[in-house]
Amino acid sequence: MTAHPAGPPAVKRSGARTASPKGFLTVGRTIAVPARRVSVLTALGLLALIAAASAATLSLGRLGIPLAELGEALSGGATGKNAFVLERLRGPRLTVALGTGAALGISGALFQSATRNPLGSPDVIGLSAGAGAGAAFAALLLPGTVSVPLGALLGAVLAMALVYVSTGTGFRNPARLVVAGIGVAAICTAVTQYVVYAMERDNASALTSYVNGSLSSRSWADATTIGLVLLVVLPLVALIARRLDIGEMGDDIAQGLGSDPKRTKTYAVVLAIVLSAGAVAVAGPISFIALTAPQIAKRITRVPGPHLLLSGLTGALLLVLADLAAQQLPLFDDLPVGIYTMAIGGAYLGYLLVRERRKGAL
Amino acid sequence: MATVTHVPPSSAPDKGAARRLYGTLIGLAALALTLAASVMFGSSTTSPGDVIDVLSGTADEQITTIVESRYPRTALGVLAGLCLAVAGTLMQGVTRNHLAEPGLLGISAGASAGIVTATAFWGASGSTAAMWWALPGALIAGIMVQVIGSAGAGRSQVRLVLAGAVLSAVLMAYIQAVTLSKPQVFDSYRYWVVGALGGRDFGVFTAMLPFAAAGLVLALALGRGLNALALGDSTAASLGANPWLVRSGGLIAATLLSAAATAAVGPISFVGLAVPHIVRAVVGTDFRRQIAFSAVVGPALLLAADVIGRVVMRPQELMVGVVTAFVGAPALLVAVRRMRGNT
Repeated sequence: MTAHPAGPPAVKRSGARTASPKGFLTVGRTIAVPARRVSVLTALGLLALIAAASAATLSLGRLGIPLAELGEALSGGATGKNAFVLERLRGPRLTVALGTGAALGISGALFQSATRNPLGSPDVIGLSAGAGAGAAFAALLLPGTVSVPLGALLGAVLAMALVYVSTGTGFRNPARLVVAGIGVAAICTAVTQYVVYAMERDNASALTSYVNGSLSSRSWADATTIGLVLLVVLPLVALIARRLDIGEMGDDIAQGLGSDPKRTKTYAVVLAIVLSAGAVAVAGPISFIALTAPQIAKRITRVPGPHLLLSGLTGALLLVLADLAAQQLPLFDDLPVGIYTMAIGGAYLGYLLVRERRKGAL
Repeated sequence: MATVTHVPPSSAPDKGAARRLYGTLIGLAALALTLAASVMFGSSTTSPGDVIDVLSGTADEQITTIVESRYPRTALGVLAGLCLAVAGTLMQGVTRNHLAEPGLLGISAGASAGIVTATAFWGASGSTAAMWWALPGALIAGIMVQVIGSAGAGRSQVRLVLAGAVLSAVLMAYIQAVTLSKPQVFDSYRYWVVGALGGRDFGVFTAMLPFAAAGLVLALALGRGLNALALGDSTAASLGANPWLVRSGGLIAATLLSAAATAAVGPISFVGLAVPHIVRAVVGTDFRRQIAFSAVVGPALLLAADVIGRVVMRPQELMVGVVTAFVGAPALLVAVRRMRGNT
């Protein structure tokens, strides 16, 4: 689902041809998946990097499981301190980071493909701000009745609903979507700032931490939540991946090829929002993973298309790395992971700046 | 090149002149009204008669104290409103983008980042220091957003705004990182960032005055150049204006104005977005008139928002930055429905 077939789809009826056609990944004689070699290699490379980053997350630091014992611990033989670290502390946190990162990466790829804009992602157009306002609202006005993560989820969904209503054309017109999203984000940010202003300092500081997206003290319940979200949404994403691919050739061509580009865009944006909202529910509004992961995936492979799978892998890698930095860097004490993903966003902006100077095209 | 005939800014002189006259009168009346309201309303309301008594020095001590306590925030509101509105008008002229304004394009966020950096790492304090530190932050942010958002073949209004949103998000994350690790800075930051006119004395006003004056003078000097620029770069050049110079001057003036406003009262959005639209509808396309009229409408709008914020949640107060977001953002959402095109 991540790449074009190189030519017109070759005949791939069961076992009719023995040689694997170019642009297809064949398994045995019956299964042929369209995939470019570069995409497959990139995916394998990313998986290797994710494995390395995960191992580092589990083994670094004072409480880390030594690398020599890691294999045994993972295969179920953990005891004592190692079992506690793996099952209570870092295991759930790592799993949540992987799932959330993947969800955000795919969400951004869907969104950027639908809006055809390299600066867009659900968190920029109000989802994060909405989640923040929801969390703030729950923390200040409804303490106890609505939990902060639930408030964040409701806020995110409400903000997106507000965007949907206020564009007048739903999610079909990318330009309107962006401007309306920024307007909604402004309202939500004002709410959050007011609440932070009105609270006592310690509560306000805790809330500000949460509003930036945090992975500290996650449980297996959070991991299950994001896993379920991915399990439900990914098949739907696979269903529209082809049409999204065609959509990148332009509305007219897509229409000529028999798909309904406006409907595809709406589906893509809705799925992107569901994935981001799932991420918000377990980790708070983490910014810039959704924005940068698809762009990085695109730069590595240099082939056209929305790169859904690769974006997901890149997102997972970025978030695990950012969380590793949050846990191990002695720079600041106990900063939320969202602050470190900001560095990724900043680097992306810097890259854009440099490229603008050189090429003059976005 | 073919000769360029100079098109007068408004096509029907008589009708335009009448609209300008009435528009200006209404604007001035609105400003007078909001000025009066700003000294009258608050957690305890005073009557117009009381205010007149205070002005003539015949009121009793308590009323005098109440009314006079509202002078600094009123003066600050006038100056900040002027700065934001003129900055917005300049930016919309320079970028030729009707969505440009200091808040949306990340210039306020740049100013905030400058101030927070100085406060946290170099122990800067006081309003004049804040002005100076806000300047480089705002300028760098302004240049960055221009480069990222408006270069290339795919130049569009939306891309510039999106670049501003992304830049703001990065800067805000940086600010959060700094403030979260320094509790003292966090405490003063959260009271400032929400955007409030109250609780400040005349010192802030006087610190802001030179920056605002410099920005305004530069803006007025650029009016003719901006008029030429509106006709396109090559036409502007053939009319004797240097597009690059006008653009840089406009950006510097806008930076001065928005940095001063941000340092004084916190980042306030939408005043700079809304005022130029109102002003264009009244005085037409001539930038000299637009800038002058912005200086009337901006203060009126900001003071009105401040008065609303004082009244709606009495005895508590809603900060002016919250009010402008709640009033301005829906206006933007309404404007979205009139947008055409896909990107």
